[in-house]
Amino acid sequence: MADVIWCKKVVGGKPCNTVNYLDPYCFWNWEGKTNCAECGTVYYIYMIQGHMYRGPEEKPGEKPDMSPLYADHPLEGYTYYLPGVKGRTRPFECLPRHIYLGRADMVKFSIRGRPVRGWRPQPPSGGLAGQFPYKWDIKKLSPEVWAEYQEKKKKGEVKEW
Amino acid sequence: MAKDPRETRIEDLPGPKSQGELEEMKMPYEEYCRKAFGPGNEWAKPDALKGIRWLSCTGYIFTPHSVANLAELGADVIKIEIPRMGDAMRHTSPFNEAYLYPLHDTRPMTGTGLGFTNANNNERFLSMDYHIPEMVDIFYQLVKMSDGLTENYRPGTLDRWKMSYRYLQEMNPRFIYVWGGGFGYGPKVFGGSYDILGQAHAGLASITGMHEYMGGHATKHSNWCIDWMSGTMISYGILASILWRKKTGLGTMIEFSQVQTPTRISGYTFPLYNNFGVVRQRWGNWDTQLCAHGIILCGKSDFPDAQNPQDKYEARYVMVSAFNDLDFKELCDITGLKDLYGKYKAHKDRVEARPQVEIYAALEKWAVDKTRSQVVKILTDAGILAAPVMNDREVYECQHYRERGTLRWLDDPLYGDFLVQSGHSCGMMTKTPRRVNWIWRPVGADNVSIYRDLLGVPLSQIEAWYNKAYI
Repeated sequence: MADVIWCKKVVGGKPCNTVNYLDPYCFWNWEGKTNCAECGTVYYIYMIQGHMYRGPEEKPGEKPDMSPLYADHPLEGYTYYLPGVKGRTRPFECLPRHIYLGRADMVKFSIRGRPVRGWRPQPPSGGLAGQFPYKWDIKKLSPEVWAEYQEKKKKGEVKEW
Repeated sequence: MAKDPRETRIEDLPGPKSQGELEEMKMPYEEYCRKAFGPGNEWAKPDALKGIRWLSCTGYIFTPHSVANLAELGADVIKIEIPRMGDAMRHTSPFNEAYLYPLHDTRPMTGTGLGFTNANNNERFLSMDYHIPEMVDIFYQLVKMSDGLTENYRPGTLDRWKMSYRYLQEMNPRFIYVWGGGFGYGPKVFGGSYDILGQAHAGLASITGMHEYMGGHATKHSNWCIDWMSGTMISYGILASILWRKKTGLGTMIEFSQVQTPTRISGYTFPLYNNFGVVRQRWGNWDTQLCAHGIILCGKSDFPDAQNPQDKYEARYVMVSAFNDLDFKELCDITGLKDLYGKYKAHKDRVEARPQVEIYAALEKWAVDKTRSQVVKILTDAGILAAPVMNDREVYECQHYRERGTLRWLDDPLYGDFLVQSGHSCGMMTKTPRRVNWIWRPVGADNVSIYRDLLGVPLSQIEAWYNKAYI
């Protein structure tokens, strides 16, 4: 994290106490106005090599150039503003691929169309104390995937490479 | 044939009869290599380390990799893991997406993440909580019948538990003991380590990436290169210790600090400062000793219509090497940058920092209206070494790696179809090649075969330990 803006602006009689995180990819060398994710106060900052060279200075009535990526309230049991909350935080735009799930991707077949144990749940070991055999008897343990595999073979979807 | 069939005459024997014939009968080198190494036929050949048994009380990548190297060469490696949990690295996966199942009978919805890949090939998996007094003796029994152990606890932890080299060598004087971790003894003895800390703390990250005025920052490698490298360096130490033991009959302790590894691979960095007072700077995709010898960016992607950003936007980089004078002249001729050659005819002139900036900027300007393939073709046709910077999909599709068996599909006995590259990337051997038999097994998957078959523990006892989560 390059730096944070811990917003102390008094809103509704109590301090805002929101920590706005300034991520280095955008704020490392940056001059401009950013907003507090909670109260929307606009601050001018000038960062050089991740250090707050100037600011934060309040700029009432002005519009922010860029929002923080993330914010939270550490004094209130950590409530968060995750990236991409409209008007508060900036969306995370570094999606690494066109397919991006961020959760376990269940697969039954490798890219060449052969079975791989990438889905859950799987049947238990069948052995004492978790002892597994050295053979995955797919026909017996996962007959539906075996049947699907036979279909794929018939359709010529199973390749060598 | 001789009259007496018991007589052996050289001319009756099959094979060449003279040096000349021998030379004639030799197959072409290419063919010889294909036959001698025979990717895919590894299993018909012996294992170099068969008979060595190694215990692995390791986690993450660095220390596990040091013993996976042994297992790929045929050692019987027993990985001892925390019951029902396993190595922490099992619970990591790139962007939380790729897992293989199951992890353990008690956790049917949990898998082993691909972060675990390549660091535990061919091993047997035992679960044991060796803090528990009942299990300590079992641990010692394993030590007595093993050649060595690798662990990665904080320094002195196993010593506190009476399981360090000082104690184990009294039970087994031939025992080779490896501690691998962050810093080792010294002022930072209690500092733990990760690959990224190794890269940062030993100065590697400070010399990786482009210079700041070119928009770069100190950079870590995307992969955990120091973990993999450190593990491999431990393996060398182990093999040397095995040789030493063969000569003397005595074991050894290896103490391996991970943050030392980047200093080993940082080349001239340290003497540059200590002898000449210069702190090395980052030079990114270019080179401080050679020019032109770097990676340039082309204007157009090879796959402009691809969905995947790694193809669509990033298939634009080319490595080019033309540092000797004739090659550089050719490079300048073919790119129309003849002025550059006029200015920097001698290598000592163009290897300076400012000329490099000028040269690479000019090359990128020349490449701005070309695709990566066009640039590579133009340069290689002119006899200059150039190659596209390929992503892993392109490596997978590259015939060279396929024919040599560097990348290959493994029908893993337990997990099915899996592409492996690790074991077969480490140099081919004609007589005792490395091999990957399986990628990994679930936590405690070899409990019975080790506790009962190796140590003679009755099944009822194994079951009782299992029910109490000792194993």
